[in-house]
Amino acid sequence: MGWLTDPLALPFMQRALLVTLLLAVAAGLLGTWIVLRRLAFFAHAVGSATFPGLVVAGPWGIAPPLAALGAGLGFAGLLSRMTRRGAASADAATGLLLTGALALGAILASDVYRAGSGVDRLLFGTLLGLGDGDLALAAAAAIAAVGATAVLARTWLATGFDPPGAEALGIRAARGDWLLLALLAVSVVAVLPAVGALLVSTLLVVPAATARLLTDSLGTLLAAAVGLAALEGVGGLLLAYHLDLPPGPAIAVVGGGAFGLAALATATRRPR
Amino acid sequence: MSAGVEVAALRVSYGAGEPALRDVTFTATEGHAVAVLGPNGGGKTTLFRALLGELPATAGTVRVHGVTAYVPQTERSRLDFPVSALDVALMGAYARTPWYRRVADGDRALARAALQRVGLGDRAGSRFGALSGGQRQRVLIARALVQDAGVLLLDEPFAGVDRASEEAIMGILDELRGEGRVLLIATHDVEHARRWDRVLCLAGRQVAYGPPGQTLTNEVLEATYGEEIVVLDCGHRAIAVQHHAHDHAH
Repeated sequence: MGWLTDPLALPFMQRALLVTLLLAVAAGLLGTWIVLRRLAFFAHAVGSATFPGLVVAGPWGIAPPLAALGAGLGFAGLLSRMTRRGAASADAATGLLLTGALALGAILASDVYRAGSGVDRLLFGTLLGLGDGDLALAAAAAIAAVGATAVLARTWLATGFDPPGAEALGIRAARGDWLLLALLAVSVVAVLPAVGALLVSTLLVVPAATARLLTDSLGTLLAAAVGLAALEGVGGLLLAYHLDLPPGPAIAVVGGGAFGLAALATATRRPR
Repeated sequence: MSAGVEVAALRVSYGAGEPALRDVTFTATEGHAVAVLGPNGGGKTTLFRALLGELPATAGTVRVHGVTAYVPQTERSRLDFPVSALDVALMGAYARTPWYRRVADGDRALARAALQRVGLGDRAGSRFGALSGGQRQRVLIARALVQDAGVLLLDEPFAGVDRASEEAIMGILDELRGEGRVLLIATHDVEHARRWDRVLCLAGRQVAYGPPGQTLTNEVLEATYGEEIVVLDCGHRAIAVQHHAHDHAH
């Protein structure tokens, strides 16, 4: 059991474990709604769009979560403007803006602020140097996700199931959608320190998408997504510790493997 | 049940452009089933959204007595969603369920009874997406019954539905009408429209409103569908044919 207990004797690993478990609650619950509402690509793009914000946060003296949130909201605003004016379809505009944000971040990092090796950390995260702020943000995101799911599950379910008919059911669909996007932004920012701008889907999409393969019940789906996110997070963390890998990619590999296994196991049972 | 719809000189515009619908005046009283006939873009959905209060009237008035339910086309709903037939029927009770409570036991019983009523009592636990098109349509009607709707707005309820289900749905709608509910049934099918009490023909404006015998004349149908109508006069069967526009703007 030394492979498990040795790393957990170290304070920085204990903190990483705690943050991972809190993020699993936030990302598993929110991720379920992200997957059900087909917002996975959007969530990935919001994550990437935070990159330039993270790059300038240090030199400009802004708290990284605020800078990331600003960049993410700027992305969402531009996207909504482009699609409303009919300049591009939603997925093309999303692809365009996410590429633009990554390029802008890369140029700022390499040529303007010479961020050097710090760029890796911004893109792929680090669970091994998390501060009190990261912990507080993860806890806040977890509480917000639990509260919102308790209050808004019916609204999100009915709106996602039947968008044109939801308002007629007496459901405040527009408000529910707005809150879902706001919480998506908050949870993207919360997972950034752990998995980085490029790998937010590792926690926000992959566990829920895997759980979706395994169940047709909403309650089970929510619980399974949280459970998978926690297992994959802790598994990736231990893998990173023992093999000296960056934790974000390690969690991504474990998550991808779990999805592959689930897909194989269910391929014969439910053709899609 | 005292339900009714009164629409007078209704005009609805999206933004500043041409109105999507104008000059609509009709009254549907208790127990009336009204076929809403017209081409795509003729204003059927716009009328429904105005009746639901989702679109404001630019001019004229809309008055609806009774809870109004919208029964969407089943293809518009997400068939991959993790919801059972019972879950969907229960959505009809969401508006009266406070956010901090579970759906009440009474409403659960109501939802089961509504499914029973549309002939799907034994499919309550089935995944919605696994049901046939006709069964899904009946689940959505059950949802409107759980809402206790006096006015039902049905969007193409027979689209993508097999013959047996079509008969079953017709039977259910006849029953609902018999209870004094008001039904507005958007349809493309002139033959279906003949079965109901009134026909409202829309082509961006109201072309005609009245009993089918007076309304479904060749003149009215041509005015409604323009050149898209093909009337086969063998045994009074008429079918509206939707053409796809090929004049893409570049």
